[in-house]
Amino acid sequence: MRAVENALDITIPDNARIIRNLITGIQYVQDHVIHFYHLHALDWVDIVSALSADPAKTASLAQSLSDWPESSVTYFKGMQEKLKAFVERGQLGPFSNAYWGHPAYKLPPEANLMAVAHYLEALDWQRDVIRIQALLGAKNPHAQTYLVGGMAIPVDPNSQNALNAGSIAFISGLAKKAHEFVEKVYIPDLLAVASFYKEWAAYGEGVGNFLVYGEFPKDNISNTDNLWLPRGIILNKDLGTVHPVDHNKITEYVTHSWYEYPDGDNSARHPWDGVTDYKYTGPKPPYKFLDTDNKYSWLKAPRYDDKPMEVGPLARMLVAYASGHKRVQEVVNHVLKTLGVGPEALFSTLGRVAARGVETLVTAEMLPVWLDELTANMKKGDFRIHNGEKWDPSTWPKEARGYGWQEAPRGALGHWLKIKDGHIANYQCVVPSTWNGSPRDAKGQRGPYEAALRGTPVANPEQPLEILRTVHSFDPCMACAVHVVDPDGREVTRIKVV
Amino acid sequence: MGVEIAVVGIGNILLSDDGVGVLVLNKLKGRYELPGNVELIDGGTMGLDLLPFIEGKERVIFIDAVDFKAEPGTIGELNNSEIPHYFSSKLSVHQIALPDMIAAGQLLGTMPEEMCLIGIQPRTIETGYGLSPEIEGQVDGLIEKVINKLSGWGATLELSIDN
Repeated sequence: MRAVENALDITIPDNARIIRNLITGIQYVQDHVIHFYHLHALDWVDIVSALSADPAKTASLAQSLSDWPESSVTYFKGMQEKLKAFVERGQLGPFSNAYWGHPAYKLPPEANLMAVAHYLEALDWQRDVIRIQALLGAKNPHAQTYLVGGMAIPVDPNSQNALNAGSIAFISGLAKKAHEFVEKVYIPDLLAVASFYKEWAAYGEGVGNFLVYGEFPKDNISNTDNLWLPRGIILNKDLGTVHPVDHNKITEYVTHSWYEYPDGDNSARHPWDGVTDYKYTGPKPPYKFLDTDNKYSWLKAPRYDDKPMEVGPLARMLVAYASGHKRVQEVVNHVLKTLGVGPEALFSTLGRVAARGVETLVTAEMLPVWLDELTANMKKGDFRIHNGEKWDPSTWPKEARGYGWQEAPRGALGHWLKIKDGHIANYQCVVPSTWNGSPRDAKGQRGPYEAALRGTPVANPEQPLEILRTVHSFDPCMACAVHVVDPDGREVTRIKVV
Repeated sequence: MGVEIAVVGIGNILLSDDGVGVLVLNKLKGRYELPGNVELIDGGTMGLDLLPFIEGKERVIFIDAVDFKAEPGTIGELNNSEIPHYFSSKLSVHQIALPDMIAAGQLLGTMPEEMCLIGIQPRTIETGYGLSPEIEGQVDGLIEKVINKLSGWGATLELSIDN
């Protein structure tokens, strides 16, 4: 959308900008909470250990962390009984397909029980807050209301079928609920869990370079510099300097990727001239060994000024912190102080997990602000939501090119396109998990996942829980790149549902 | 009116045979008149987001591609505790599948008491649209199996007038 708007020089109405901010914002909040509880928590929380927790001690622990109402002895006792009944139901199956009992689990049983309870509460919570996306996007996931020039959702206080005062009040209630859970459950859990795993501030560093396109525009110009979360680059972990981002410096290599370039696979191409011709040269699957000296990945290797870059919540929070973003600085400092670690701890697996939490909190705080902006526009009588001046292709130049940037929950997402004679001549996406999961480039430089895994201690090679912790800390979007991989490779159940 | 029943087709139609559950569901929708107590749900790749749609149902049939370690096209039926349900380690939230969903639903206490998984052995789940011939040839067999199960639960499906 932003790439086309940039190519055709379209300015979107202010209401469209605000609604896009709201949808992106609630996406951050929901995605990050789900990632923490439903993917990442199982790397740190041993569900089976929760069975031996003392519900009374669990209640005092929960009450010491926040005034969240669901924290009585009775509540945790009930939760533990549910869990027991579940484990005892017929077979051992439910809990056998993970690494329960692994020596790298360090939480006391009470913290484990609290986390299990919140795992389930997060499920209930998300089905409510996700309605914000459904209301503004008409569908969740994959919002349907985006279109070039604005949004396809009417804003009109006098219509039942449009965004009106009633629906804004409803969304505002959900936004409050979203914020409350983040403030009283997610952040306290994150800090409590992190306090038992401080050694993870020394592992999983990555490449030390961070790229952020920035997000949440304060004006309605495409690729604007006027952003709530600032754009910028940090090099070699130096928080003293934030470098500007120049899209001309972005290139992709395929030296170690299963693609070929017309002018040789050691060359790098800017996305406008990007070529995606796949050529698989790996072993016939299933295989046990991939030779990383040759081609070994379906991901290309994006580089900025020939350097690998980490993208995502940690990158965003570091750039915001280093750019003097007041609220981000406050929350980051609070987290560091509570855990008793210095800013260097941010460059780690633990830092990545913490930054995601910080971002969730500060974003949840912004939802009401954007809703107020929308209400203010409506009060002024501004209901514009779409700019259709360039809707007809006959209004376009014969040739145009553009790029659009978005900070997706997982990080910097860029689309580059060329338009010729009213048609798309080339379209290239460079997505967050390609930056983070990038294979090596022509110089042999590793991408963030690879760099982050070096030096990670693994207690039991058969159960590489520690590896999962670091990979999960990036929140990989790997469904497209890996397809159905069973990372365990263990035959635990007789039948596997695919 | 009988017990509340959900029939849920699961899978990704962009991953060839993985989409069989959703395709079977759509055929059921087009071909039959449903009694008021039966709801057909396109579960797609919703994972845990599917839970609220099943909550409140007394019985549920899942239709999905299942690795029975058998010849492609082999149809099988699993009931209640035979259906895999566990929390497993995975790389991405995008991989949350039926076993995780059932496990979470049971812990929440919102899973129906009576569950049935009608599955078929896929040939391939590579990226691509449409089913392999062996699977396509068994679609009617899967539909029949679903109808028989429903009729065992007292819900009869009538062919639509259009057919």
